[in-house]
Amino acid sequence: MKTAILASGLILAAAQASVFAQAALPVPNGASLAPAKTIAIVGGKLLTVTHGVIENGVVIMSGGKITAVGPASSTEVPADAEVFDAKGMTVYPGLFDAETHLGLTEVASDQNSNDLAETSDEISPQMHVADAFHAETVRIPVERLNGITNAIVAPASQDSVVGQDAAIQLSGRDRDEMLLQRDIALAMNFEGSVRRRANFEGPSKFPTTRMGLASQIRQAFLDAEAYEAERAAAAKPDHKGAPPKHDLKLEALLPYLHGEKPVVLGAYESYEVEVAMGIAKEFHLKVILNHVTHAQDILDEIASYHVPVIVGSIYDFPRSNERYDAVFSLPSELQKRGVKIALAGGDMGGSRNLPYAAGYAVAYGLPYDEALKAITLNPAEMFGLGDKLGSLDIGKTANVVVANGDPLDVRTSVKQVFVDGKAVPMVSRQTELRDQYMPLTKSK
Amino acid sequence: MSLSLDAQAPSKSNPADVVIQNATVMTVTHGTIPNGSVWIHNGKIAGVGASVNAPAGALTIDAAGKYVTPGIIDPHSHSALGNDVNEATSPVTPSMMMIDAFDNLDKALYQALAGGVTTELLLHGSANMIGGQAVVIKNKFGLSRDEMLFPNAPRSIKFASGENPKRVYGRRNEVPSTRMGNFEVMRQAFEDAKAYMASWDAYNAKVAKGDKDATPPKKDLKLEALSDVLRGKLYVQIHCYRADEFLTEEAIAKEYGYKIRGFHHALEMYKVGDKIAPTGTGIATFADWWGFKDEAWDAIPWNAVMSMREGVRVALKSDSNDYIRRLNQEAGKMVHYGGATEDEALRMITLNAAWIIGVDDRVGSLDVGKDGDVVIWNTDPLSTYARVEKVFIDGDLFFDSSAPGFGTPRFHGVMHDAEGFGGEDEEGDAE
Repeated sequence: MKTAILASGLILAAAQASVFAQAALPVPNGASLAPAKTIAIVGGKLLTVTHGVIENGVVIMSGGKITAVGPASSTEVPADAEVFDAKGMTVYPGLFDAETHLGLTEVASDQNSNDLAETSDEISPQMHVADAFHAETVRIPVERLNGITNAIVAPASQDSVVGQDAAIQLSGRDRDEMLLQRDIALAMNFEGSVRRRANFEGPSKFPTTRMGLASQIRQAFLDAEAYEAERAAAAKPDHKGAPPKHDLKLEALLPYLHGEKPVVLGAYESYEVEVAMGIAKEFHLKVILNHVTHAQDILDEIASYHVPVIVGSIYDFPRSNERYDAVFSLPSELQKRGVKIALAGGDMGGSRNLPYAAGYAVAYGLPYDEALKAITLNPAEMFGLGDKLGSLDIGKTANVVVANGDPLDVRTSVKQVFVDGKAVPMVSRQTELRDQYMPLTKSK
Repeated sequence: MSLSLDAQAPSKSNPADVVIQNATVMTVTHGTIPNGSVWIHNGKIAGVGASVNAPAGALTIDAAGKYVTPGIIDPHSHSALGNDVNEATSPVTPSMMMIDAFDNLDKALYQALAGGVTTELLLHGSANMIGGQAVVIKNKFGLSRDEMLFPNAPRSIKFASGENPKRVYGRRNEVPSTRMGNFEVMRQAFEDAKAYMASWDAYNAKVAKGDKDATPPKKDLKLEALSDVLRGKLYVQIHCYRADEFLTEEAIAKEYGYKIRGFHHALEMYKVGDKIAPTGTGIATFADWWGFKDEAWDAIPWNAVMSMREGVRVALKSDSNDYIRRLNQEAGKMVHYGGATEDEALRMITLNAAWIIGVDDRVGSLDVGKDGDVVIWNTDPLSTYARVEKVFIDGDLFFDSSAPGFGTPRFHGVMHDAEGFGGEDEEGDAE
């Protein structure tokens, strides 16, 4: 257990004096080997997300689930529960980053550590990020220390159809413990930077225009439909001839053509959003819109689509003819129109700055409760995980964060993160470096 | 007289006296004054306190519930330099003058102004071991290029080290392609400058003795600039990440007799803060940006506060057209990472940043006699929820979020859209 070195004026985030830091035996990326006990977080201010704020509340976690949530006055703490004293603290569900590249990159400048996107083909639905997800990445504990417990891992946006996302839990002994669901959504993009122009990668080749991109996407879905029909025909008893060759690429598109899973459709400009939504409608895709950064003139139209939106990043730059706050206020403008929104890290600082993006959206008009939802329940619901994650409710996965103040404020420190009802060691490679070089412990 | 500034037509003439009152005034040098006032007279701060002796005719702004700080200062920006950040054709280019690339209509300046930034050090990039000479601006967006220059600011020159120079030249199979090469290139440049200075000294000595046939050495802009470094006429600002490189840079500076003003990025300063503090070199660092390349792999968000505790003067900087819009949040993170006080955190983006540039006697705090660079915020600037409401520079209003359009009383027209992130580490040789 770390001790705060008060003489140096440094307050260590890891200095929570509790049995938790000791009890947890660290293993790669934070899971505790200790069996899950019943834990009661007592006395904190609960931000439940679904049923308001409970001052002086209690959260009981057992068997990896939340088993009780309520005011201290009426919520019984089981006799065998380990008590985490959260007096003066804020307690909220683990945060959910709607788009990350966690486990797909380590050092951005080092190509050997990057598995961000397969750029050899613009249409690559058969690429599964789960196959590249590096569970032991140093980045996961770093993000987790700020209360991020769940994320979507998506490929980089370099193709029209880049591959399939995975949902992860930011704690676990290995990949399989961290993967909540592989192939949870299909990552798609309709934007200029996907065009294969000479300045992108290598020499120019089709498609170099948005017309090219659109026709290529359409053809891919038409091919998948034809493939499915051919396969169905081949399955009939009176069918003559060989069945179609098993085609992983077309096969991968089928669940999306059937609307069984969402496609995350990235577009920035108004006209890109309209074209992309036209294609989605044509093939009855279930859409989560992504970015819409420069589509401010069609916000009502976007609301009329009745699809959720991952906004921004809100730190994308406004155009030279736009006000400085044109993008900062986008979450608020969409929410006002009834759109379900989520935010993604989208900041060079990483997922750990996700709560601050939500706070900044509040500064520019988004109601506080909606901002908290945009990084908890809303992304969980968009990806079909709303019954398991995103709020302090009985029966949900016990991913719970305890902090010394408002989670959306940059000045707040997270004191303890629980994943699956277990206290995660509050250490990362960065805290280890910090402790190694701490001024008063360094030999002089 | 009390009136809404919103209603004011754009005008070159500003009131001689402005008083901002009833605000929480964060002075940086002498604490926070609840319900305080700031009086600006003829562009300079004339009073700061619970009350001020402003004349009756002063333009009065009621800032009840608001916060007031000195203007934010960014000691490391490449805004408004377009694609001209790096003259990456030689590792030694000290005669490049960033003012020759400064585009005063770049939208990045406006967006920074809307984030409360009033002074910026615009630096050459980090492709070269010895880059070019910086320009210091006041962010008076809407005025002419000349009017935006910080008058009589000290001259700074940008040096670099580490991965960028060796990558840029190594790719071309030129020197430097290693850190050994980096420092060799630098030392040779100073040897050349010493020889150049000696040749001029010899010539001047001959002239002093009355030798009418003495021929002057050829004027060389590059060697002139390096000579000015050795004469201590330029503040040396070094892009440097790794602990070992701070030590090497200090050793070379000592060997050739110049001082290093600031290490920029300085992500590993927490490892050797006790060694660097006695040299007097400050740092301009990121709050929490890390891991984007090998030499940023050991970056930790506690770096700024740990280095400060070791006695190093610490500033935060943007190196980006994004972060420059919210340096206040970056400072707020220092409360979280390491437990800086609000005063300490705010000093990192005001007075200490001004010191890196060498203008701390004129800006960076709310003190009588300093420039009237003042920001009004809706709430505590170190919180996530802070928005800039008004920005005064030299007592003139340059940004007002409640004004229609861009909120720029002094700017009406078309901005320039220099695409890009505004950093020096962007991909490609040119950045």
